[in-house]
Amino acid sequence: MFHVSFRYIFGIPPLILVLLPVASFDCDIEGKDGGAYQNVLMVNINDLDSMIDFDSNCLNNEPNFFKKHSCDDNKEASFLYRAARKLKQFLKMNISDDFNLHLSTVSQGTLTLLNCTSKGKGRKPTSLGEAQPTKNLEENKSLKEQKKQNDLCFLKILLQKIKTCWNKILRGAKEH
Amino acid sequence: MTPLGIALGMVFYLLQVVSGESGYAETGDFDDAEMDDYSFSCYSQLEVDGSQHLLTCAFDDPDVNSTNMEFEICGALLEVECLSFNKLQGMYLIKTKKFLLIGDSKICVKLGRKSVTCKKMNIVKIVKPEAPFDIRVVYRKGANDFVVTFNTSHLQKKYVKELMHEVAYRQEKNENDWMHMNLSSTKLMLLQRKLQPNAMYEIKVRSIPNTNYFEGFWSEWSPSFHFRTPETNDPGEMDPVLLIISILSFFSVALMVVLACVLWEKRIKPIIWPSIPDHKKTLEQLCKKPKKNLNVSFNPESFLDCQIHNVDGIQARDEAEGFLQDPLPPQLEESEKQRLGEGMQGPNRPSEHAGISPKTFRGESSFRCLAGNISVCDAPGIPFSRSPDCKEGGKNGPLLYQDLLLGPGTTNSTLPPLFPFQPGTLTLNPAAQGQSILTSLGSSQEEAYVTMSSFYQNQ
Repeated sequence: MFHVSFRYIFGIPPLILVLLPVASFDCDIEGKDGGAYQNVLMVNINDLDSMIDFDSNCLNNEPNFFKKHSCDDNKEASFLYRAARKLKQFLKMNISDDFNLHLSTVSQGTLTLLNCTSKGKGRKPTSLGEAQPTKNLEENKSLKEQKKQNDLCFLKILLQKIKTCWNKILRGAKEH
Repeated sequence: MTPLGIALGMVFYLLQVVSGESGYAETGDFDDAEMDDYSFSCYSQLEVDGSQHLLTCAFDDPDVNSTNMEFEICGALLEVECLSFNKLQGMYLIKTKKFLLIGDSKICVKLGRKSVTCKKMNIVKIVKPEAPFDIRVVYRKGANDFVVTFNTSHLQKKYVKELMHEVAYRQEKNENDWMHMNLSSTKLMLLQRKLQPNAMYEIKVRSIPNTNYFEGFWSEWSPSFHFRTPETNDPGEMDPVLLIISILSFFSVALMVVLACVLWEKRIKPIIWPSIPDHKKTLEQLCKKPKKNLNVSFNPESFLDCQIHNVDGIQARDEAEGFLQDPLPPQLEESEKQRLGEGMQGPNRPSEHAGISPKTFRGESSFRCLAGNISVCDAPGIPFSRSPDCKEGGKNGPLLYQDLLLGPGTTNSTLPPLFPFQPGTLTLNPAAQGQSILTSLGSSQEEAYVTMSSFYQNQ
């Protein structure tokens, strides 16, 4: 009997604490009037689009990320949350300072507006791609270029998805 | 035991949540009074230098001892947690690209490591636009208004693009009487009738954010522009060309009226309303005037100075024939000369008599004239085509007049014979004279017609 009490005292509460971030995803979206999105986020997304100027080279294959996550009904906040966190990974490309600033603005601005209580700090962010085994220099260069192209394609599609999802949220807010 | 375990677990959970959400009170060590001494205010200027933003803070009390005081901003920043201000002449500035522009930031006054006072601010709610510039005023004469234009750097910015502008103008002599107008564009029309004529005006403009997201304060005033309104403000002022044309037209019409009044009687009225001509005057005009000083008139008084003598026609005829056929004896020639000398210039006058114009003897009126009072020849109604020269008539007429004058009344005539009568040819026997006169008259009439016709032929 005494063993059971200790199990309940020291077992269940930590379990509750661990499982709560996985089970709940509570986001209080701010700025549903669209002011922050139209005056700040959309400006930076358009600047990023103008910096990424290759449409024809994008692969038609949809990345796995979008197969797993989409802006479905009642899941707009979670999608934007994951998309915003994904944007931070593109900072590693180091294209330019302005490019990184725009990326940071969109990412952090989205997270700020979502105002999600579940931070998810313990989870590791997924990488953009798998590491390729080392090869000769020429092959590495071409592979790097190809990878960069793929990442930029992914970024472009991601930005479009973020815009679409924000428009859906604002449209829904106007209807209500 | 189970409910007790659950209760304890909940207590632990609540303790963790409360400790995670609550912030550490950084300003709890100081009283409110001290915080008011270090009150400050800030304003932001976005994209002031390319993509860099500027945040400026200053103490409300300029006398505050700001030695060792620093400002720090935390939150709503990109890639960093906090940024420190730079001190410049009592103001604290920070110029960076790392403003998120979403969410609130906390700005604190720090003394060393301790925060003296903090304030939560949103960068997008304390925006102070840059002052407008290049203000110009152009007068449009046709529209009677002034076009005010100015420029602002926010037209090329990405964030704060929409502004509300305030234009203020005044007459320079009225120092505090400013007129204000708000507009969202950079162009304004001022009506001339709302301004004083021939006056000097001053105009300036400032801006404030006009969006639902960006808010803030009025910018500084632009540099003033001075302009002068035109002198005349008369809407009825005429074009000079039009004025000249109207004056010339007026004078032309006046001249035409004066000329019409002056020439009405002489030129205009005879054309519009011609008068019926007077036959007497018309005849007088139609008469030929071969000689100067020729008196053509039906008025007998104009012939008073003419010597009109009664002419003995038979005696004149006989004497004319005698002159032509035989030479006269010297005694008679002398007597003839004496008599001729009274009235005539020479004996050879028949041809010249023929030259006297038979026109002067026409019909009965001449006989009547001869038969009556022959001292005055009254020939009513008969115009003289050739008026006799009174002097010549006196010289040349007697022969012809004598030829025609003989009639019943001639015995009473008192005219002196101008031609010498042949003795025996003419005696003063009234009856015989009358019959002889009548017969001689009858023959003389025919002879007169012959003579006159011969006059025509001679002519």
